[in-house]
Amino acid sequence: MPTSIYEVLELMRKYGRIEKIHKDTYIVEVKADKVKDVCSILHWKLGGHFSVTVGSDERLINGYFAIYHVFLLDEQKISIIVHTKANPAIPKIPSITPIIPGANWHEREAHDFFGIVFENHPNLERLILPYDWPEKVYPLRKDVSIEELRFKILKPETVEAKVKPEEEYIVPIGPYHPALHEPEYFELYVEGERIVDAKYKGFHVHRGIEKIAEERLTINQIPFIAERICGICGYTHNVAYCQAVEYAANIDVPLRAKYIRSILLEIERIHSHLLWFGVLFHLLGFDTGFMMTWLVREKIMDLAEILTGNRKNYGMNLVGGVRRDINEGKIKLSLETLDYVEYKLGNILNKMLKLKEIMSRTKEIGLLSREEARKLSVVGPVARASGISTDVRKYHPYAAYGELEFKVPVYDAGDVYSRVLVRYDEIFESISMLKQLLKNIPKGDLMAENVEVPEYRKGLGLTEAPRGENVHLVITGRENKVYRWRPRAPSYNNVPSTLVMLKGENLADAPAIIASIDPCFSCTDHVVVVDVKRGTRRTLRLKEISRGRAR
Amino acid sequence: MSLKLFRRSLWVYHLNSGGCNGCDIEVLNIFTPYHDVERLGIKLVASPRHADVIVFTGPITRETLPKAIRAFFAVPEPKAVVAVGSCACGGGIWYDSYAVIGGIEAFYRILEKYYKVRLPPTVYVPGCPPKPEAIIYGVAVLRGVLKQKQRKTYFLEKEVPTLTRDFIVNLEKYMKQGGEISIGKR
Amino acid sequence: MKASRIEIFKEALKTGVVTKKYPFEPIEVPEGFRGKPSIDTEKCIGCGACVSVCPPNALSIEVDAKRGVKRIMLFLGRCIFCGRCQEVCPTEAIKLSREFELSSLNSKDLYQVVELKMAKCKICGRYYATVRQILFTARNVPKDQRPLLLLCDECRSKVSAKYISYARW
Repeated sequence: MPTSIYEVLELMRKYGRIEKIHKDTYIVEVKADKVKDVCSILHWKLGGHFSVTVGSDERLINGYFAIYHVFLLDEQKISIIVHTKANPAIPKIPSITPIIPGANWHEREAHDFFGIVFENHPNLERLILPYDWPEKVYPLRKDVSIEELRFKILKPETVEAKVKPEEEYIVPIGPYHPALHEPEYFELYVEGERIVDAKYKGFHVHRGIEKIAEERLTINQIPFIAERICGICGYTHNVAYCQAVEYAANIDVPLRAKYIRSILLEIERIHSHLLWFGVLFHLLGFDTGFMMTWLVREKIMDLAEILTGNRKNYGMNLVGGVRRDINEGKIKLSLETLDYVEYKLGNILNKMLKLKEIMSRTKEIGLLSREEARKLSVVGPVARASGISTDVRKYHPYAAYGELEFKVPVYDAGDVYSRVLVRYDEIFESISMLKQLLKNIPKGDLMAENVEVPEYRKGLGLTEAPRGENVHLVITGRENKVYRWRPRAPSYNNVPSTLVMLKGENLADAPAIIASIDPCFSCTDHVVVVDVKRGTRRTLRLKEISRGRAR
Repeated sequence: MSLKLFRRSLWVYHLNSGGCNGCDIEVLNIFTPYHDVERLGIKLVASPRHADVIVFTGPITRETLPKAIRAFFAVPEPKAVVAVGSCACGGGIWYDSYAVIGGIEAFYRILEKYYKVRLPPTVYVPGCPPKPEAIIYGVAVLRGVLKQKQRKTYFLEKEVPTLTRDFIVNLEKYMKQGGEISIGKR
Repeated sequence: MKASRIEIFKEALKTGVVTKKYPFEPIEVPEGFRGKPSIDTEKCIGCGACVSVCPPNALSIEVDAKRGVKRIMLFLGRCIFCGRCQEVCPTEAIKLSREFELSSLNSKDLYQVVELKMAKCKICGRYYATVRQILFTARNVPKDQRPLLLLCDECRSKVSAKYISYARW
C-alpha cells in the first residue's frame, strides 16, 4: 500500500490531473465516471476519511457546475480534493453514498441548493430548505439574488396561512428546569420501552449565511458572520475562514498572532467542554453537577472578557492577523485563573465521574463500533471514543500547534462513558497547552503587512473545534468579495450516528445518548415518541423521558 | 398590564427561534450560582401555558415561524415579551436573508396584519450576546423597578461658516482668529 | 473505585456563596470591554467610512436634499459590538464605551441621529459634501488647489481637465 506522499500522488495521477493549491493540499480533477473509484481508494484503502462535499456554481468562470469532495489523510498529513464538473443544462454526477454512507446529507444539501442530481443516491429528498419552499428554485445559483428570493419568490403569507392559533397544544406534565432548547426534533419509534427506529428532522436554524456572504459582505466582514454560526464554538469558525483565505492568498501571518489565536482557541475548548458536562449531568438528573461545572466555567468566561472585550464572539481576527494584544498583566492573570480551574476540577469533576449512578447510566450505552464510525465518517471526540485516532491539531497542524507537546486521548469502548473520559482528558491537555503557550509567547507584530487577495483562488482551512474538525472551503472572487464559501461544522457528520446508536436502547437513555455526541444544535425538549405496537403518538419533554431507572 | 414590584414572581418561557445559541446560553447562565435570579423569583417553565413572559432569541427563521406564532398564542394574557440579543431586536447580521423573517418587529407586523392582535409590552435587550447582568436589567426595566437609561438622541448642526474662496485658502489664519470651527479635531 | 456523595457535598459547602449582588449593587466591567458605541457630535465629519465597514449595517447614511443635511443613523438594536467603526474612523468620532445596560421599552429609543449641514457646489448648485468634511480635507491639500474642493465631483473633473496646474475659475 502506498504510504509516502509521493506514492499517493503518483496513484492519483492515473485518474486525472493533480495540482497543488497551497501547503499540504492537492486538488485532482477527474471525470464524472471515475469519481466513485477515486473516493473509494482514498477513504477505504489509503486510510483517509471523508470530510465534506461542496457544490459550486461556476458557470461564470468556466461554464460548469462543480463538485468538490474533500478527503483528509492523517498518516501522510495532507488533504486531497476531488473535483468533477457537471453539465450546466442537466447536472448529473454519480453519488458516492453507496460506498461512503457519511456523504448522505452532504449530497442532499448540494441538491437542495444547486439542483445537482446524484445518481443512485438512496433518498434524494429535501434536507435544509423550509417545508414550503417552491420547487425548482435553487438559492445558491448565481442567477438569483437575495432580493428576488425574499420579495418576489417567497412571501410570508404562504407560511402563516397554514397556521391556525387554536390548534391543539399538548401540555406536558409538571414544571421543571429544561436544558438548552434548540428547535429540532427526533422521532423515536418504540415498542414498550425499547427504541426500534429513529428519525431526525432538523435544520430549523437555516439562516442563509452562504448567500449573504457572497452578495453583501466583503472579505474582512465575513469573520464576524462566521463567529455567529455557533454560540459555543464560534471562534473556531472565525479562525478556519481566515486561514483558508490566508492560504489561498499566500499571506504570512506573524508568529505572535498565531500564538494569540491558539490561546483563545484553547480557552474556548475548555469552556465548551465544561458546558457539555453541565448539560449531561442535568439530563441525567444530577443538578449539583450542572451548577458546579458552570460555576467553574464562569471564571473562564471572565478571563475571555478581559482578554478580548466580550464573553463570547471575541471578534479578534481579521484576514492577516489579530486586532488586539495581550500584555504581561493579562498573562499573569490567565495563569492564575488556570491554576484555580485545574485545582477545582481535579477535586470536583473527578469525584463526580466516579459516582455509581453516573457510571451505571453511561457505561455500555449508545455503542458505536469502529466500523460504523468509519462508514459514517464521524469526527472529534465521538471518533476518538470509538478507537479512531484523529485530531487536526496533531496531524494537520495550524496556528501555533506545531510547536506544542500534547497527547491525543483515545478510548476503545465506543459508549457514552468513553466520550465522557475523552472530554475529561482533553480539558487537562488544554490547560497544559495553555500554560506552554502563555509562557513561550514570542514578541512580534500582530498583523501581516501585505494583505492582498487575488481572485479565483481556492483555499482550505481546517481547525479542531471542541466537537470535531471544522472545514472551510473558500474560492476568492473579485472586488473584495468571495465567490464561494462553504463552512462545515463537525456536528453535520456526527448527528447521523445517533440514529445508529439509538436502536435497541431504552427510552430513558435516549437523552444521554443524544447529548453525548455534543450536537452543536443541542438537544431540544421536543421528542415525539411513536409506539409501534399500540399505534399512539405522544409528544414528551426530554427530561420526562430521562427520569428512568438506572440499569 | 399591572406589574407589581417584584413581589409577584415571573415565570418565563424561553423560545429559541433560529438563533446561534449564544443568547440562549446567556439566558441559562442567569440561573447558575453567580447570578442566580431564582432569588428574585424568576423561574423557567417548559410550557408556554404556564408562563407570564416569553423570551425570544434569534432571528425568526421561516421554518420556526409557525411554531413561534403558536407559542405566542399559547401564552395566556396578560403577557410580556423580552427580545434578547441583536438578532431578536432588529434582525442582527442576517436581517436581509431569504430564510429569515427579521427581528421581533417584523414578527409583530405579521401578527398585526394577519391575526389582528393587540401587541404586548416589549422590552428590547441589545447585545451580541448581552451580558447576563444586562438581561437582568432588562427584566427590571420591564417591571418598572429600574429606570431606562437609554434614550434617543438627535443632533443638528447649528452654524456653519460660509465657504468662500478666500476662507478656504487661508484656513489656518481664520482658525487661529475665530477659534471654534469644528473640522473634526483629533 | 466509587466515590461517596458526602465528599461532593463537602466540596460544595467549601465553595461557599458566590452570588453577585446585582441589580442591587453595580458591577464593574474590565477595561477594553466592548459596550455601547456613540458618535461624538463635535468630531464627526460625515465621511461614511464607518457605514461601509459595519457588518450588519447598523450605521446608515442618507442625504436629505430638501433641507441640505446629511443624516447619520446608528441603530443599537442591530449593532453587534464588533468595534470596526472605531478602527476606521479618521477623526476618532465614534467610540465604544463600557456601558452595557441598554434595554429600552420602545425600539425608537435605540437610535442616535446626527445631522450635518452640506455645502452647495459653486457651479452646478448640487449638495455634494458636508462642510466639515471639506474643511477636514482642506488641511492636507496644498493651498493653490484648495478652491477645487468647493466644487462637486463632476464639475471638479471638468475644471481640472481644462486647467492643468493652477485652479483659476
